[in-house]
Amino acid sequence: MISLTINEKEVTLDKPVTVLEAAKQAGIKIPTLCHHDLLKPWSGCRLCVVEVERMPRLQTACTLMAADGMVIKTESEAISNVRRGILEFLLINHPLDCPYCDKAGECELQDLVNKYGPTVGRYKEEKRKVPESHKDQIIARNTERCVMCTRCVRMCNDVQGASAISIIGRGNHSRMEPFSSESFDCEYCGNCLTVCPVGAILSRLYIHSFRPWQVDKEVGTICSYCGVGCSLVVQVRDDSIKRVIPKLGFGLNKGLLCSRGRFGYEYVNSPDRLKTPLVRKNGKLEESTWSEALSIIADKLTEIKGTSGGSAIAGIASPRCSNEDNYVLQKFMRVTCGSNNIDSLSRTGFAAAQKYFEDLLGQGITANIIDGIKNSEVVLVIGGDPTAVNPILGLSIREAARRGASIIVLGHAKGLEKFKTVQVVPPLFKEAEVLEALLVELFRAKGVRAELPFIDKEMRELSEKAAEKMDLPGFDELMKALLNSASTSIVLGMDLIQRTNGHRSLFGVAGITYLLEARLYLLSERPNEQGLIDAGCVPDMLPGGRPMNIPDFKSKFEAAWNGPIPDDDGLTLFEIIEGIKNRNIKALYVMGENPVFNLPGGPFLKDIFGNLDLLVVQDIFLTETAEIADVVLPALGWAEKSGTYTNLERRIQLQKQAVKTSRGMEDWRILSEISGRMGQKMGYLETDDIMREMAKVSPLYADLTYDEIGKGDCLWPYHGKPLRGEMNEVPPVVDAEKDYKADFYLAPEKLLFHSGTLSRKSPALMKICPEPTLKMSAASAGKLGLKEGDRVQFSTTAGSSEAPVSIDESIKDNRVFLSNNFQGSGVMDLLSFSIDEVTKAFGIEGCEVEIKKHGIKA
Amino acid sequence: MENFLLRNIENPNSADINEYLKVGGYKNLTKSLGMKPKDIIEEVKKSGLRGRGGAGFPAAMKWNFATADPKFPKYLLCNADEGEPGTFKDRPILEKNPHLLIEGMVISGYALGSEYGYIYLRGEYPQAKDILNEAIKQAYEKKYLGDDILGKGVKFHLSVYQGAGAYICGEETALIESIEGKKGQPRSKPPFPVNVGAWSMPTIVNNVETLSNVPYIMEIGGDAYSNIGSKDCPGPKLFSVSGYVEKPGVYELPMGISLRDIIYKHAGGIKDSKKLKAVIPGGISTPVLPADGIDCAMDFVSMPKAGSMLGSGAVIVLDESVCMVRVAYRALKFFEHESCGKCVPCREGTDWLRKILERIENGKGSEGDIYLLSDVAGLISGRTFCPLGDGAAGVVTGMIKHFRNEFEEHIKNKKCVVS
Amino acid sequence: MFGETVLKEIDEIRVKYPDRRSALLPSLYIAQREFGWLSQEAMQCVAKALNLSESIVRGTASFYSMFKHKPVGRHLIQLCTNVSCMILGAERLVDFLGNKYGLQPDGTTEDGRLSLVVMECIGACGTAPAMLINTDFYDNLSEKRIEEILEKYK
Ligand SMILES: Cc1cc2nc3c(=O)[nH]c(=O)nc-3n(C[C@H](O)[C@H](O)[C@H](O)COP(=O)(O)O)c2cc1C
Ligand code: SF4
Ligand code: SF4
Ligand code: SF4
Ligand code: FES
Ligand code: FES
Repeated sequence: MISLTINEKEVTLDKPVTVLEAAKQAGIKIPTLCHHDLLKPWSGCRLCVVEVERMPRLQTACTLMAADGMVIKTESEAISNVRRGILEFLLINHPLDCPYCDKAGECELQDLVNKYGPTVGRYKEEKRKVPESHKDQIIARNTERCVMCTRCVRMCNDVQGASAISIIGRGNHSRMEPFSSESFDCEYCGNCLTVCPVGAILSRLYIHSFRPWQVDKEVGTICSYCGVGCSLVVQVRDDSIKRVIPKLGFGLNKGLLCSRGRFGYEYVNSPDRLKTPLVRKNGKLEESTWSEALSIIADKLTEIKGTSGGSAIAGIASPRCSNEDNYVLQKFMRVTCGSNNIDSLSRTGFAAAQKYFEDLLGQGITANIIDGIKNSEVVLVIGGDPTAVNPILGLSIREAARRGASIIVLGHAKGLEKFKTVQVVPPLFKEAEVLEALLVELFRAKGVRAELPFIDKEMRELSEKAAEKMDLPGFDELMKALLNSASTSIVLGMDLIQRTNGHRSLFGVAGITYLLEARLYLLSERPNEQGLIDAGCVPDMLPGGRPMNIPDFKSKFEAAWNGPIPDDDGLTLFEIIEGIKNRNIKALYVMGENPVFNLPGGPFLKDIFGNLDLLVVQDIFLTETAEIADVVLPALGWAEKSGTYTNLERRIQLQKQAVKTSRGMEDWRILSEISGRMGQKMGYLETDDIMREMAKVSPLYADLTYDEIGKGDCLWPYHGKPLRGEMNEVPPVVDAEKDYKADFYLAPEKLLFHSGTLSRKSPALMKICPEPTLKMSAASAGKLGLKEGDRVQFSTTAGSSEAPVSIDESIKDNRVFLSNNFQGSGVMDLLSFSIDEVTKAFGIEGCEVEIKKHGIKA
Repeated sequence: MENFLLRNIENPNSADINEYLKVGGYKNLTKSLGMKPKDIIEEVKKSGLRGRGGAGFPAAMKWNFATADPKFPKYLLCNADEGEPGTFKDRPILEKNPHLLIEGMVISGYALGSEYGYIYLRGEYPQAKDILNEAIKQAYEKKYLGDDILGKGVKFHLSVYQGAGAYICGEETALIESIEGKKGQPRSKPPFPVNVGAWSMPTIVNNVETLSNVPYIMEIGGDAYSNIGSKDCPGPKLFSVSGYVEKPGVYELPMGISLRDIIYKHAGGIKDSKKLKAVIPGGISTPVLPADGIDCAMDFVSMPKAGSMLGSGAVIVLDESVCMVRVAYRALKFFEHESCGKCVPCREGTDWLRKILERIENGKGSEGDIYLLSDVAGLISGRTFCPLGDGAAGVVTGMIKHFRNEFEEHIKNKKCVVS
Repeated sequence: MFGETVLKEIDEIRVKYPDRRSALLPSLYIAQREFGWLSQEAMQCVAKALNLSESIVRGTASFYSMFKHKPVGRHLIQLCTNVSCMILGAERLVDFLGNKYGLQPDGTTEDGRLSLVVMECIGACGTAPAMLINTDFYDNLSEKRIEEILEKYK
């Protein structure tokens, strides 16, 4: 215990902190400029000086550790003199253009000068001139206002790890610049903007549009983009979102955001938003009224249910919709329509993996705190780039690297290029073999863990079968690191699952997780993939992950829901598609999803969706799927409604309404309206009603309330009871042994600056990343005689497209990568695929692609 | 006193290992490797050796801090940045007596439990780089460096790291940043380099001259060494004498010798028998002394009492023809150019001071400028992150204190009065 | 792009230090040798060779005055003008270079032969004024001596 006196106040500390922090704890504010709570101390501005008894000079509070018995004064004449002097220095080269500066009102320099500053300037010399550039489309830079606190640079280097900006030059002649000295060309997290104390760097998205004091309200909510679920603050004026800023010190992201979260919000105000229901008449979608549209749906569904039975109806849930929305959808499907055919596109990755791991290792195996990654000794990254899919999770991996962890990448991950310790590149599409080999080696070294007999047995069998060791560069290093690690995190991306035998890889990962008692993290592209599973949007499980085939559960739900639930297990996504093809499924209800674009084989889907008697899409934009629907319903989107999301850690968080500009309706309300028209009244007035019901019926959500969730740390297993794993048979591997001998293979890639098709409607993200590129290794480009930016045409058996080439140093094999975000040029349309028998996800391996240089440039 | 540090440098081949061996080179290493590391440190402690880089910190105390830290590896960094204007005393060791430094580093490395040494050499000494590299090669060949030195199982590896033109990199924590491949901006202390230094490991930074004294201490013993020169800071000291003296150059003299004797007895007095105006006694960063202030003992303890500092022992002699405003302006131009920019008072203050001085020197000074100069110097002094800024303020304050009239005349006459 | 030999040279430097970033300054010297100055391309090569961010490379390089961020002539004169040299006439020598060769501080002659950088102390104060031409060292300078010396640098 340390006790000291600050301004005659006794302060006791339970752990060693700086004097600045100690003062803060005692409610004493010491002025600072170069210090920021998200950064390590810098001690450059010298504003935080304090007097310490028995120390000769004034000391900087931001670096001085509080020690027992210290007697400190934070204000005195001597201290004020120093501060006045420092501020005078800071102003001599400052343009003093507060009246035009967008920072005015929230500028730390302005506030400091008001409190401590000199009243007159004595500087008669010429002011420093700094070269200007207005090239960057997102960040406006006015370096003459810069006070050289280096907060932005430290943020960019030491926290974000993008290292895109630095102080150029030395001393008085220096200035903050990105490498190009013009455009930032960075990760555009904007975290530098958070820490800049003055108006030297500002977001172009809002400058000149409002003043900080003109904000009508600030709403703390959760980001709508990915499965991390960052806390942020939406600033609203005139019922429109003016700016998104992080909530300092709050949430799992603790004040950090990524490009999507910070700059992606403009889609909410997009002029392309759906405004009224649309109904197909004479082959054309025409504007309609809510009552007409809802009646058409209710009537049609009732008819189909009557003639063909509930099982002719299927629903697709949305990982962008709230728990409440998804809960109501599955209830609507099960009870109102009488069908367990409810699944989602998460089937193609997250949900498939999640279920596999839970079946094997028990519920909650993936419910790990992101923050824990940074304390790992080894982080094993497989099948995806965490810094692109889940950027804030990616930052924890970078932080782990800074703290000395080994970062091992199996495959490639561009955002970890500068942080990785070892990269192991599996032979093409042989990730499963590598993982199995690794598992066998680990098993041989570690032996039986004897907790889950079934896995132990499987591993023994595997190791008996496996003969020789894997001969792969980096493999031994990887083995050694894992064996020596006392704390391992495994971060798993979806690329690995999307294989013909994806489940084989999953077993490998599960085994390693089990043997090493590792923390397992599943990357999640959408904000509520975990939530939709927990809400029951999987065919064979009721809310709370309760298997349908346990009669007790089922009857409990039937009682609560006032209606029977069908007995069958329901169809998974691709079985639904198969059903549509075979005309067994006659109606498809799609909530906030775009299967035609987001699944492989889009043209085929478009085609067979024509078989449907009814295709309903509720969404916020007229997506590729909505375009071919019979009825399109405008939904309310993020920031327009309240509800909860469950992130990839399984943390439940509150989403709050901030604006009400759109004329849509909440997804759950639409469903409940239709349900009522079909004779099954749901009776919800507000989301609270749904939450209350979920808390009552779902054992996982037992006793949960919005109040509790709102506090921020609503973590697994809440008040619920996790189930043990219950798989006791690993399904056989379909023999797909095949050599991949083509020159190039096409594979999907996930972009940092985009997310599904939502980000298309965000002008800022479109400016940062306006078009798709075909990514390939330097070796592949060399082989094709291509250089960065060359346009190429490429084709597969499924189709063809064109894009400029971009060389990615992290890619080490002959795959080429294309994203699935841009209209008319998504990778999914070009892929051929098969379905994994176990996970029911698609496998996209060995999709050969031919690449040709586009035209001949002079 | 016989030269030790500069022994044999008249020999044109003095940098060759064979010439060095001829004058008894590396015998102190052989002797030291027969001792226990802690006994070597004890000997250094008895000698009273203080760092020659400018701060005069007791060498053995630093070494004891470093050996007390349980972390390994430990790094021994030789500070050969010699950036303080007026200083050229490490240069003869580096270029003419490199094996003395190497011998000193191997002994020190052995004493400290350090197996890796680096010589951080300023970029402005390209010759020294080649000479050192050649000397290191020779030392490896003769097993004075390597994994098994002299068959005693002692390991020490040494290489040269070339700076690239930044005075601040002479400051030990900036030097560490620089050798880590970063900008040379000083680090906060604590933690001190002896605990968390280069690559986060315990690191000992010593000046070239400091380390070159170690073989001598081992040769004559700590007690004998402590009897040379001043009682509080004993030993031989290299003085660089430049400016208006008859015989400028580097002199090896006992610590504590009077400044007057250095100038008049050793450096041959003022050039062309002109009148002495002022002396900067320890490199540009030390406050100027007027002509009548040179009867002071040149050591770390006495000089502050005489109103200046020993610094690097770089004596710059200014005669009556020199304009003090111009000297002050040039000094501030230096500080402004070399400020690393980390802290506000140094970064902004040196620039402001330079601009005012430039104006005065160019005949554009105005009434309140002298007051403003003192005041701005006061806004810097004692408030900077590292001593560089303090030094800059001290130069201005010292100049105004002793030569205020010259400043006043510049302002009054709107031109320089001397030239 | 750096050739194989240069990359090998950098790799050899890299292993001398516990961390790859330490090889940055030596690699920048190499890049400067190869490209003549630190162009964007030169810095990108260094960044790639050491797997460091380009911005870190540029920021670090720009801190050190011996790294050149614009092209320099065939011969680089680095003339000291700090106090010991100044009082013995270094500034006159700067003027001389300007008048005689049309060479300004931080400038290059039109024929691309000479560049001039005015230096802080280069450790030759005892034989002031002094300068470096490329890596050759000259002291006790006078106008006449400079003229003679420069004859060797065509
Ligand atoms: C601005 C500044 C510049 C310095 N330059 C040098 C230098 O060029 N050479 C040197 O040996 N020490 C220099 N020092 C002192 C070093 O910080 C450090 O005290 C010294 O290298 C320790 O070695 P020593 O104890 O052997 O003197 C400088 C200090 C400061 C504050
Ligand atoms: S741009 Fe802002 S954060 Fe960056 S150094 Fe300047 S004032 Fe500080
Ligand atoms: S990491 Fe995910 S949740 Fe966080 S700001 Fe980025 S997109 Fe949003
Ligand atoms: S005093 Fe000057 S040199 Fe020292 S840290 Fe501050 S800015 Fe850098
Ligand atoms: S806040 Fe402490 S020095 Fe800037
Ligand atoms: S002042 Fe010119 S070399 Fe030292």
